[in-house]
Amino acid sequence: MTNRLRELRADRGWSQADLAERLGVSRQTVNAVETERYEPSLSLAFKIARLFGQRIEAIFEAE
Amino acid sequence: MTSNHSSQLSGTGRRDSVFIVAGIVWVVIYWIALSFLRNPQTSGPLKVAMVLSPAIPFAVFLFRFIGYVRGLDELHRRVHLEALALAFPIATLFLMTLGLIERAGMLSAKHWSYGNVWYYLPLFYLIAVAVSWRRYR
Repeated sequence: MTNRLRELRADRGWSQADLAERLGVSRQTVNAVETERYEPSLSLAFKIARLFGQRIEAIFEAE
Repeated sequence: MTSNHSSQLSGTGRRDSVFIVAGIVWVVIYWIALSFLRNPQTSGPLKVAMVLSPAIPFAVFLFRFIGYVRGLDELHRRVHLEALALAFPIATLFLMTLGLIERAGMLSAKHWSYGNVWYYLPLFYLIAVAVSWRRYR
């Protein structure tokens, strides 16, 4: 699964730590999602989508 | 919402230190009990007390460790789950092999009894946590 998380975060000028704090997860989790080593749970994916004001499928895409 | 998350993150740090302190207390009491049990002059009731004494700090450690794991985010919990999935079969293989070698008469039970072997089990878990983390870094 690919995602646009790094791009969306960069657009807002947030660090990984900033995003992690907003999502209530660790910085390592944000990094693992961004580098596509870890696929987030549905609830985290919803949190991410809500935070960026987008639909889940606009951020995450199945390969 | 952000302040809640900040407090959650700082709370995680405090939980880490509490379970680490509980673990250190458990190890220290274990070594004290071990030194008493190695002493041939230790009386029967004291031996029983020494055998049971590490169980109390271990219970505290376990309680704190469960709280620590529950406070982790989803990736960290997955790392611990994968570590268990790796460490448990390794521990099983290790114990099975030692048992077979002992039955073959090639291993002294004096050096490979339960008292010596259990140290490897948390070690396997720590190694498995490190191996599991490598996938996500």
